[in-house]
Amino acid sequence: MLAVLAPVTGVAVGLSRVPDPMFAQGLVGPGTAIDPRKEVQEAVAPITGRIVSFHPHAFVVQSADGKGVLVHLGMNTVRLPLIRGFELLAAQGDEVTAGQPLIRWNPAEVVASGISPIVPIVALDADGDVISRPVSGEVKRGELLFRWA
Amino acid sequence: MSRAERRVTVASPVGLHARPAARFVTAASEFDGEVRIARPSGASVPATSMLAVLALGVRSGEEIVITAEGEGAEELLDRLAEIAATP
Repeated sequence: MLAVLAPVTGVAVGLSRVPDPMFAQGLVGPGTAIDPRKEVQEAVAPITGRIVSFHPHAFVVQSADGKGVLVHLGMNTVRLPLIRGFELLAAQGDEVTAGQPLIRWNPAEVVASGISPIVPIVALDADGDVISRPVSGEVKRGELLFRWA
Repeated sequence: MSRAERRVTVASPVGLHARPAARFVTAASEFDGEVRIARPSGASVPATSMLAVLALGVRSGEEIVITAEGEGAEELLDRLAEIAATP
């Protein structure tokens, strides 16, 4: 069982609250979403593994046994790269530990740009029934979000 | 059994990232056969895997080669090429 940790502090609201049909319908994969606290914070690695995709607003960490978790910081991939204040604390290809800070950002600035700061956390290439029911409500970064069988 | 190959330039401003990648992989997964994606002269990965497609990290303006083997391969590639070429 792989423990997937909350990458940000906020309120876990579920994927259905993501204002993007691909995510909301689970087509990217099963998981949940966190409405992040609107203050400067560091998004952390949800699992231990290698960063196989790294963008200022999104990353994928792949575990040693091949499970990949996608974390997306905010929900407008076209305009998000134009928002300043995404500071990278790691690099593509890095081996990282669950809970390790990867990106410093400010959800309040994302909101100020008129973009949803919501953070989907998705188990890639997984069927919905292999992840446990995600926690809901207040969650702190580094706390357990769901388990992946 | 038919095998088809298509070269397309990825038009999405973010490349084959989260949303466009999910659209691409979802369409590829509906196909009853093997579908792979690669950079020209690069190693191919399964087009049915979000993890593989995201890790491939194709950027906007880059060319990709999609291959499909199975019944309806041409039609599938038409659809995938259209998704990849959609800004």
